Amino acid sequence: MKSKERVRAVIDHRETDRLPIDFGSSFITGIHCSVVEGLRRHFGLEPRPVRVCEPYQMLGEVEPDLLDALGLDVQPIFPQRTIFGFPNENWKPWTTPWGQHVVVSEHFHTYTSVEGDTYIHPKGDRSAPPSGHMPKTGYFFDTIERMDADFDEDDLKVADNLEEFGLMSDGEAAYWRSQAELYRDCDRAISVHLNGTCLGDIALVPAPFLTHPKGVRGVAQWYMTVASEPEFVMELFDRQTEIALENMARLHAIAGDVIDVVVVCGTDFGTQASLFCGVPSVREIWLPRYKRINDWIHRNTAWRTFKHSCGAIEPLIEAFIDSGFDILNPVQCSAAGMDPKELKAKYGDRITFWGGGVNTQETLPFGTPGQVRAEVLERCEIFAPGGGFVFNAIHNVQALTPIENVVAMIEAVDEFNGGR
Amino acid sequence: MNTPLEQLTSAIKAGKRKDAKSATQAALDAAIPPAQILAALGEGMADVGRRFKANEVFVPEVLVAARAMQNSMDLLEPVLIEAGIQPAHTFLICTVEGDLHDIGKNLVAMMIKGANFKVVDLGTNVAPDVLIEAVEAHRADIIGLSALLTTTMPAMREAVARIRERGLKVKIMVGGAPITEGFAHEIGADGYAPDAGSAVELALRLVEAA
Ligand code: B12
Repeated sequence: MKSKERVRAVIDHRETDRLPIDFGSSFITGIHCSVVEGLRRHFGLEPRPVRVCEPYQMLGEVEPDLLDALGLDVQPIFPQRTIFGFPNENWKPWTTPWGQHVVVSEHFHTYTSVEGDTYIHPKGDRSAPPSGHMPKTGYFFDTIERMDADFDEDDLKVADNLEEFGLMSDGEAAYWRSQAELYRDCDRAISVHLNGTCLGDIALVPAPFLTHPKGVRGVAQWYMTVASEPEFVMELFDRQTEIALENMARLHAIAGDVIDVVVVCGTDFGTQASLFCGVPSVREIWLPRYKRINDWIHRNTAWRTFKHSCGAIEPLIEAFIDSGFDILNPVQCSAAGMDPKELKAKYGDRITFWGGGVNTQETLPFGTPGQVRAEVLERCEIFAPGGGFVFNAIHNVQALTPIENVVAMIEAVDEFNGGR
Repeated sequence: MNTPLEQLTSAIKAGKRKDAKSATQAALDAAIPPAQILAALGEGMADVGRRFKANEVFVPEVLVAARAMQNSMDLLEPVLIEAGIQPAHTFLICTVEGDLHDIGKNLVAMMIKGANFKVVDLGTNVAPDVLIEAVEAHRADIIGLSALLTTTMPAMREAVARIRERGLKVKIMVGGAPITEGFAHEIGADGYAPDAGSAVELALRLVEAA
């Protein structure tokens, strides 16, 4: 069975020859660049600096040799532009604050403050105020809230928060054509992030890709807007959805046959202990727009749709199913009410769990390889039966995760699969 | 007709900033003692904290309530100062070095403020030296440290160690997604709270015990 068929089969709830595994196919199932380097060394791969494919979370590209070494089933086609608004092209060397030599896009322009913190410019434009900040002891960037001086919370304008959503440009279309060409005969399943379908993702609200964002751009400000101006938020989501539907049609015309999985939305609805938003609000504000997107996809394409939400989101899974999502990620079993057995029993035949393979808040970073192995085997036993499970950790594998634990995780999946 | 104080409490509960402002003004105009107005505010915030803890309201509702409280405080604060009414305790809060998550930290700060502490928020990514300096400058009674990442749990440990080393007589409470009671104990903190409502209860216990 080819990886592509395997991934498609489990999403359609059929058991396969072995459990498919993903690391690196999206910006929420990836691996921190420091860990990618450690894995390359562990497997004796060509020693070369890791490519930072996602500069915000500093994710390292899992290149084909590492995909092979780890036995992975999913290949990404990344968006043309990174979250900081520049394309990843013409790689150049950069040394991270923790002293790792990586390669980054030629448009990755940073400066270091006297305190030793790193700041990055949007669109590679040095004349624009920085939109990302990495503390000197940090391992990732965070977005900087740049507030528009003219902003008036009593006079919200949808257009201000729509600036980043436009129709696919010719350049972008050409990019997708070339990528489709490259991966048309790939044996692995192809995963892509859809453009513009993330509804209210708090990582994107501050618009780190824009030089001078207008509108509601603060994190707290956004949540307050959801509570006090739901009509504004719904109108914004409607407009966004209309643009996205148009772009999906264009993408489908170019690369529809190549793509298997589309990441629709990464909005986090859960905290460690609870929800960010009550179930009725999610059903009213998000569900109808998600449904439009998912219905279009299911009517017009063979793609399977992927929803990411961290945290304690058990009370919302029914709403995600009603929205038409095929796949749920990262299945944060370490959050309240996210017991793997109960999730599988209650929802396992109606949605595919892509994640949940190991606890990344405890076991993977702090446990022993033996503990990692035991937990991974247990999760596979729970989630794999009847299909509906793609193995992935919970969210990205973070910096400072011991390489022997990552290796123990991969070996445990192989063991579950009966050796390779 | 509700009294201005009842109106104020319900405006806070519902997160209505304009109503909170007008109710505060009405209360001041009616010459209601500022301490009573403050108590009405606190009652509203305490109710929000309880409902948040019980998963009846969520982050957005707490944020709008806190914004309404701030709108009211803007009017009330000068009057309180004039009347010589000051919070009895100072609470210093930050997210530890290397970490930029601040939603939870901010909620804790707001609820503690609602319980009539003086709150000094040092922001995110705060190094131990900055923290120590601030504890001394503000004569803080309690420090709250927040960490949301496993990669910044060591920074929390370090911050607690440095404060202890310095011999500062300040209580330390910790929280954030990956933090547990056990970890708090292990690094020598005085307390852990899983949510903002419990953080208020813990802070009150810590100052009473002091
Ligand atoms: C929102 C969020 C973000 C936002 C943060 C926006 C902001 N300005 O804060 C964004 C999108 C920017 C973000 C970025 C990242 N995040 Co994040 N994020 C979350 C998420 C979904 C919710 C956190 C949150 O705000 N909760 C809401 C508040 C109200 O809850 P809370 O913070 O837990 O606080 C409550 C209690 O903990 C307590 N409390 C908090 N602080 C304190 C302090 C004291 C003194 C006390 C007593 C109590 C207390 O009271 C609060 C109120 O009740 C969590 C998921 C989760 N399970 O928590 C992931 C999570 C914390 N993030 C994670 C990661 C890894 C990241 C990134 C590295 C990106 C990545 N995913 O690879 C970056 C790093 C950013 C950085 N440089 O620091 C991981 C951490 C995993 C780990 N191994 O530690 C989590 C757990 C997601 C996951 N499933 O893996 N994130």
